[in-house]
Amino acid sequence: MPEETHLESEVAGLIVETLNLDIDPSEIDPQAPLFREGLGLDSIDALELALALSQRYGFKLRADDPNNTRIFSSLRALSEYVRAQRVK
Amino acid sequence: MSHGWLLQRERGSRFALCLITWIALHLGRAPARALVYPICVYFLLFAGRARRASRQYLQRVLGCRANIMHVGRHFHSFGSTILDRVFLLTERYEQFDVSVHGAQSISQRVQEGQGCLLLGAHLGSFEIMRTLGIDKARLPISVLMYEDNAAKTIDIAKKLNPELASTIIPIGSVDSMLLVKEKLDQGQLVGLLGDRTLVHEKIVHCSFLGERAVFPAGPMLLAAAVQAPVFLCFGLYRGGNRYEIHCELFAERVDIPRAGSGQELQHWVQRYADRLEHYCRVAPYNWFNLYDFWAVAAP
Repeated sequence: MPEETHLESEVAGLIVETLNLDIDPSEIDPQAPLFREGLGLDSIDALELALALSQRYGFKLRADDPNNTRIFSSLRALSEYVRAQRVK
Repeated sequence: MSHGWLLQRERGSRFALCLITWIALHLGRAPARALVYPICVYFLLFAGRARRASRQYLQRVLGCRANIMHVGRHFHSFGSTILDRVFLLTERYEQFDVSVHGAQSISQRVQEGQGCLLLGAHLGSFEIMRTLGIDKARLPISVLMYEDNAAKTIDIAKKLNPELASTIIPIGSVDSMLLVKEKLDQGQLVGLLGDRTLVHEKIVHCSFLGERAVFPAGPMLLAAAVQAPVFLCFGLYRGGNRYEIHCELFAERVDIPRAGSGQELQHWVQRYADRLEHYCRVAPYNWFNLYDFWAVAAP
């Protein structure tokens, strides 16, 4: 499995586990929106997800990052961001 | 649906709001307050929906038939607190006689560098909280707000006091709650109101003033996510220039397991509804959800 796909399924697993979603991680379409449409997550979910990501990968998402909407736009975008920022 | 308030346009044109703001700032509180009476008469005549909602609420809380005088008094207290926002936003706090109950514990947390959530309601004036600690160090409060709906009010706030307006955290962007968490981590206070629901928002059915009503789940879910102490804060308007601030510790920590059955969430939101009901009885004319609050979809 290429590294990107591997990380993508790892992040998908983290989303499902953190938010206790009633789906299998493999069911998350990597390109579908995570918030409002698609998975239908909200800003509280985003916070919990950000906290879980920072614990697992050791980087911090900041509220004043102008790219947040893009970072959280899909599983693929989020995973790419994790790959670029992770320190563990 | 109980998000009826969203559909209700902010009443009053921008011009009317600007005019009354100008009068308040240049001629003073007394002449501006004189205008509240004709405005109330206008609303009594033409705002049928708000009038019916007011009467329905007053009957529940007072336990007797509410007549037009009750509704008029309700509207007048609403109008007065809206007008007073102008003075609160421009930091003319000397206008008010504010008695404070239970806020010392919040100041203490701030001194210790511990961020807290301040949970209020559309009951009285949340803005009066800004007067807390003015004689000493000002408390660092930011407030979560639905910016789209209150656009006109926020516009005016920006003009009157850009610095204060910058402490508004708009709800609705993906990182709104990240900002809340950052403020709390910096030892600041974040205020939010826990009584209105949004379209597509998670809701909880609670018993409130004798009947089922829907409340948003968001505030409690947020409290659980940030794991900060939660204080209830209500700024009750007591007529004239008098306000009473009531603060009480709601919870050191709200725990709502994601995998839970929903019982914990129900428990916390009902506790909030119970305290809100208590303060509605303390100051009945302070309830400013002037739409059918109990219009609940089937459970």
